[in-house]
Amino acid sequence: MPEDPDRIVISDVSFSYDISEETSGKAPRRALDGISVTIEKGSYTAILGSNGSGKSTLAKIIDILEVPDEGRVVIFGKDASEDDLFWDIRSGCCCVFQNPDNQIVGTIVEEDVAFGPENLGIPNPELRERVDQALKDVGLYELRHRETTALSGGQKQKLAIAGALAMRPDILILDEATAMLDPSSRDDFLELVEKMRMEKGLTLITITHDMTEALRCDKLVIVNKGKVAMEGTPEEIFMSEDLWKYGLKRPVKFNFAFEIAKLTGNTLCEADLKSDETLINALIKMLQMPLTQVPSITWEEEKPKEEKEIIMSVKGLSYTYDGSDVKAINNINLDIRKGEVLGIVGESGCGKTTLISHMNAIFRPAEGDIIIHTKDGDLACSNKKDTMKIRQNVGLVFQYPEYQLFEETVYKDIGYGLKKMDIAKEDHDKLIRQAAEKVGLTDRELDASPFELSGGQKRRAAMAGVLVMNPGILVLDEPASGLDPRGRHEMFSIIKGLRDSGTTIILVSHNMDEAAVNCDRICIIDKGKIKAVGTPKELFLRKRSEELKIQRPRITRFSSALKTELKKYYPGIEFKRRYFDPAKEAAAIVDTVIKAGGADVQ
Amino acid sequence: MFSKISLGRYYPAHSFLHDTDPRVKTVLYAVYLIAIFMIKEPVAIGVLAGIILLQLIMGKITPSILWSTVKPIIPLALFVFVINVLTIRDGDVLFSWKIITVTSYGLARAAIMAVRLIFLIISTSILLTLTTTPLKMSDALEKLFAPLKIIKVPVHEMAMMMSIALRFIPTLATETDKIMKAQQSRGADYDTGSFINKVKGYITVLIPLFVSSFRRADELAVAMDARCYKGGEGRTKLNPLKMTVRDVLAGIMFTLLAALVVTIEFSLR
Repeated sequence: MPEDPDRIVISDVSFSYDISEETSGKAPRRALDGISVTIEKGSYTAILGSNGSGKSTLAKIIDILEVPDEGRVVIFGKDASEDDLFWDIRSGCCCVFQNPDNQIVGTIVEEDVAFGPENLGIPNPELRERVDQALKDVGLYELRHRETTALSGGQKQKLAIAGALAMRPDILILDEATAMLDPSSRDDFLELVEKMRMEKGLTLITITHDMTEALRCDKLVIVNKGKVAMEGTPEEIFMSEDLWKYGLKRPVKFNFAFEIAKLTGNTLCEADLKSDETLINALIKMLQMPLTQVPSITWEEEKPKEEKEIIMSVKGLSYTYDGSDVKAINNINLDIRKGEVLGIVGESGCGKTTLISHMNAIFRPAEGDIIIHTKDGDLACSNKKDTMKIRQNVGLVFQYPEYQLFEETVYKDIGYGLKKMDIAKEDHDKLIRQAAEKVGLTDRELDASPFELSGGQKRRAAMAGVLVMNPGILVLDEPASGLDPRGRHEMFSIIKGLRDSGTTIILVSHNMDEAAVNCDRICIIDKGKIKAVGTPKELFLRKRSEELKIQRPRITRFSSALKTELKKYYPGIEFKRRYFDPAKEAAAIVDTVIKAGGADVQ
Repeated sequence: MFSKISLGRYYPAHSFLHDTDPRVKTVLYAVYLIAIFMIKEPVAIGVLAGIILLQLIMGKITPSILWSTVKPIIPLALFVFVINVLTIRDGDVLFSWKIITVTSYGLARAAIMAVRLIFLIISTSILLTLTTTPLKMSDALEKLFAPLKIIKVPVHEMAMMMSIALRFIPTLATETDKIMKAQQSRGADYDTGSFINKVKGYITVLIPLFVSSFRRADELAVAMDARCYKGGEGRTKLNPLKMTVRDVLAGIMFTLLAALVVTIEFSLR
């Protein structure tokens, strides 16, 4: 077969990571198990799959960072098994990885960009030109003499792109490169990458958990257990009902559209998914057709919210880091009510983490105070004597808590805080098991070493280590970051369970979609100050969001586009109920349209 | 608190010393190291202080940057001072109470020791870390020790390891801070309790720190592989080291100044 110079061809590739002697009793689990993929030159492909499905390994095979045990890899007509082509192939393919800190080699921005081309042995006038060009392309030229550690997360990822561009590659692989970025830097980053793809004719391969990001691609490949489970255009893939099986789900707007189709007894076809316009047209048609059977929709009656007592009040809190002139947080006043889920939303660096670090006296208030109201009286974060009591009452789970596990077994790790907090020994066992149950860890997992667990399990174990103290208030910093859609769903089920059992929850997030669905109230922080506090419904009213200059959740943006169209057909129609859950929002719209006279009248 | 560690940090600026060839700075550093440990006479110390001040100006190092490098070493300097004061019993007794005896000679010696230590830190900072990026420093070491390659010493690899280690100091400092905060919020207390308990407390910080360092090392190795790193062979440099007349003159001038200090020292003994 003549080699195709315009394709990446992976055929029947199997690969397993070296497994140590102890566990080699059985054959090692294959990270890739006879996988075959073809990727066209110049295309934009997303590789999707659950955590541990083998998608990152596939990326490493394409960049020949790993050599397959079996099978063949041919990159643009070059066979990767030929030794003399090895560096040729690898230099034509660049990767940007998830963690910005772990891929920067240089201390100074331009030194880091030069690292790749220096390795290729590019001589000097050209080397300088490549570095400068790459820095200009990504917009970091002005910062070329900065220290790399002084850059923000988004800038670091752009630096990684510059480092890749300076090697003048044909292929660029993004391995969850946007996972640690906030939405605005994420959009910024993706726009940059797509622009570079157009300008330099790159073949772009992205590995992601973000389904909306996947929609931007020409082709999706779903990997499951080291094999390709599905491949096709985004429209083909998102028609499928099997996504959940692979730890994935449809983008929010599709979820919503499929829900409307189901309620009206219709089906969507691939062509409908092409664009927002086609999708809205299809939905309007559905809503206008006479309904064969009126869907039975039951509404949870919206109870007027009773004002629960205040459990924590933040009073005039300000904080300035040493050596900085800017206040990281500036005069924060916030009351948290018992049993609510309060979302704290804002871009990276807005002061969210500084604020929550005060909530259990990790940072002692320098200006202002936080008062925790408990049944045994009030506790003040500024009072050193209250510190231990506060830490029992307010549990704080930082971002990526799984990196902080240290004991021999999960059981011991969860129990760590109990020993520190002087809690009667005979209660320990009961408390540890209760905490494990809350996060869904089994006895077998309790006896395992924390380092044997999967990523999601580790995170839950770390959460249990905080829950073991039975805190009345739980503060969670980005609890779902880095998890696949199924993992995120599980995490939010756990949070919902905790809330139902009476825990007050403060949820830090930069994902508006999830905050809108899961929070009773949202507090938006911008540059250290509170910009607005309110229920999602108040904040995400079109007028209010425009005033505040915040982006509304994806579901709301799509649903209001649909509503605007519907108003043309049903003048005077009013949509009273609004939801952020796609299924409920779909039901509300169908219900309103039927009541407005719907198709039957027409 | 760890994220503010300034030891080993680079201070980005444009100055005479920043632009000086790192090989010259490395050699000068060795020269000044010897000078610092040879001097005892106050006049010589004064002259050396003057030279260091000149270097600070030539490196455009602000007093606040200087303070942040010296600050962490002050407890150690004080410790050295006190130990010396208490253990040296020669000379005129100034003060004596129970087992504590303070002598004039002891005070002088102790002061010299403390001053030397501080000079040492300042010299390391201005000649090396503050004005030289880790990559340049590793380039310099690689070049200076290149002859050792003949006897199969992996000079390039060692230099690369050093520069990566320096590059990761701030990252790991931030990580340590995060781990400590997470454990504090679970009730850990690093400040009170017996010495043994404190040490035990730090072990629980070190384990996750090690684990994460290994993970980072793994990821970094993959990232370096992906960027076609294959050792020193055939590598080019964005900013190749260039020895200019100016560098040579600066080297000679500062070497002569160090010689002057040593001469003063010996002529006064």
